[in-house]
Amino acid sequence: MVKTLIGRFAAALWVVAVTGLASPLECDAQSKVSVVTTIPDLASIVNLIGGDRVETFAIATGYQNPHFVDPKPSYIMRLSRADMFVTVGLDLETGWVVPLLNSARNGKIMQGGPGYVDASKGVSLLQVPTNLSREQGDIHVYGNPHYWLDFERGKIVARNIFDALVRLRPQDRSYFESNLAAFVEHLDSKGSEWLAKLEPYKGASIIAYHNEWPYFEERFGLRIAEFLEPKPGIPPSPSQLARVIGLMKREDIRVIITSPYFKKDAAELVARKTGGVVVTLATLVGAEPEIRDYFDLFDYNVTQLVDAFGRVGVSTGSSD
Amino acid sequence: MNTILRGLRYTGVILLSTVSVPTFGQDTSADADSLLIQEIERELSEGKPADSPAPLPQRRTSNTLNPAISVIGDFRAHYVSDADRNVNFEMHEVETALNSAVDPYARADFFVSIAQEDGEFAFELEEAFLTTLSLPAQLQLKVGKFRSAFGKLNRIHPHALPFIDLPLAYTNYLGEEGLNDQGASLSWLIPNRRFYQEVVFEITRGPDESPSFAVDDGNRLLYAGRLRNFWDLTENATFEIGLSGATGRNEDGGTTTLGGADFTYIWKPLQFNVYRTLVLQSEAIFARRTTDAGSRINSWGWYGLLRYQFARRWQATLKFDYSDTPDNASHNENATSLTLGFLTSEYQKIELGLRTAASAEADRFYETIIRAVFVIGAHGAHEY
Repeated sequence: MVKTLIGRFAAALWVVAVTGLASPLECDAQSKVSVVTTIPDLASIVNLIGGDRVETFAIATGYQNPHFVDPKPSYIMRLSRADMFVTVGLDLETGWVVPLLNSARNGKIMQGGPGYVDASKGVSLLQVPTNLSREQGDIHVYGNPHYWLDFERGKIVARNIFDALVRLRPQDRSYFESNLAAFVEHLDSKGSEWLAKLEPYKGASIIAYHNEWPYFEERFGLRIAEFLEPKPGIPPSPSQLARVIGLMKREDIRVIITSPYFKKDAAELVARKTGGVVVTLATLVGAEPEIRDYFDLFDYNVTQLVDAFGRVGVSTGSSD
Repeated sequence: MNTILRGLRYTGVILLSTVSVPTFGQDTSADADSLLIQEIERELSEGKPADSPAPLPQRRTSNTLNPAISVIGDFRAHYVSDADRNVNFEMHEVETALNSAVDPYARADFFVSIAQEDGEFAFELEEAFLTTLSLPAQLQLKVGKFRSAFGKLNRIHPHALPFIDLPLAYTNYLGEEGLNDQGASLSWLIPNRRFYQEVVFEITRGPDESPSFAVDDGNRLLYAGRLRNFWDLTENATFEIGLSGATGRNEDGGTTTLGGADFTYIWKPLQFNVYRTLVLQSEAIFARRTTDAGSRINSWGWYGLLRYQFARRWQATLKFDYSDTPDNASHNENATSLTLGFLTSEYQKIELGLRTAASAEADRFYETIIRAVFVIGAHGAHEY
């Protein structure tokens, strides 16, 4: 009896605590929806859908490795005031999103809260492992998380963000709807432009530093033959570099792609030995000053690749 | 309608012609057909090559309701110049961590440690606490057994520190394993929009092992607190100043009050943050111990450290230590240590520690420690 009373009292306390929090959920019509995203690409899509009704902050910067973001306390401040939080999800950001959210004291943006958005919802994934062991390096237990590098999957991300914005601001539904339609339309027209530019190189083999391009590779019909990292997250080893050099010579592969946050020495060494070129592609919006939004990201990468293929004289990759 | 037609055109035609030949009744068969067409549609869309993303997500849950489990091993090999046993090998600690959300309102963290005590391995509850996730007014409450918020390093588990020996000021004032007690801790995120500020206030029963505070059977509540101030100087550099305090009854029937002040400067270039880090950190702990007879002892200790990560997997930490003891300000010790760490991955590190220490009473001695820390299971949280 006493036990149940205490239980009820405790439950009542919790309810008070929770409802106290839940009241400021409805943002008033004037104020903007404050959105924090893990990577700038998500912030860019939120801006494109939310327009002037949102205010965004991306925790990671464009030239930073999104897996190794430091959970600085200043991010907790941002999260504690946010109405909405958008994450790439899967296990890309586990090392830093969990401690930040746990310290943010903001029920709205916790998993299950109205403002929590897992952008991977409904996205079909590649490289879902059939068995799990860290012997394989930094494996991603749910599948490769770099899905935003496929612009078609970007549409699903936009849809997830749209759903959350409508949930938080139902009165602005039609505004978000027309922005979403414009986003998809623009992506479709840009998409065919990008595909056309890389069409001549369809099937061409390339080398990548880290396994972060499967969605990009699939979309543009490229073939990543090997990685400079022997296993994901393990820095390039001499034996791996030797293997890559052998493979590049054997199969006449000339292009090595890498990302801004990896040291270039290994890639440049391999390029020197094989007469290839190193291309730094952007994995995130903001990687270079001219990459200001999600569209620029693909513009930049497609231009860089076309240029690289041109320089090494890859014309048509019918080898596959 | 268009999609249905497309479905028919591809493979549906053959299937439909075989399946829908035995017609039972006009209306119902039409329904059955459209169901069938839908079924075929779905099959088709699942088998479709990925030129447009399939609408159905893969299953992404395997053991979601189990807590995140990890086991951390800490093995050490010692050489000490001035000891009966110069060379020793020691499985210093095995820690099991279990963490999970309890419900939408709280999470729980358990850390159980198996460590050697007097030649035998014994279980010890290192930490076990419940943390609220959605209290109003930027509050967060923690109840259970936990490492105190006093000091910059006290909350960090020893295996996660970039050096092997805890600073003398910590072992002399907080205890061999730091200040770890049972009670409640309330943290408030100060609504300061200019920089990060957090205040923690703790009431605990009084630690069961402590060089500063009483460990008897009487009332001996311990009050502790910490104010944390954090600034982003640039995108690559941060600065933190912390103030700590703790007060409780001591063995002499008087009160011991500890005060701590620390600063940490971290330089970590955003773009290459996995390759380079520089940390400059220092902390001082001041103690005032009174007895019921009215006498008073003031003493203090401090450490300063420099950590530099010079390659993706390599870092070195240089640390200077000085400390009095709480009951004798003229008994002091000092130590210098250099720790070289090789981090094979996020889950394993091997450290070589060189240390020399001397005290007012004992001769200088030298020691070499090799430590291997290895983690299996869930991906832990990164630190900052």
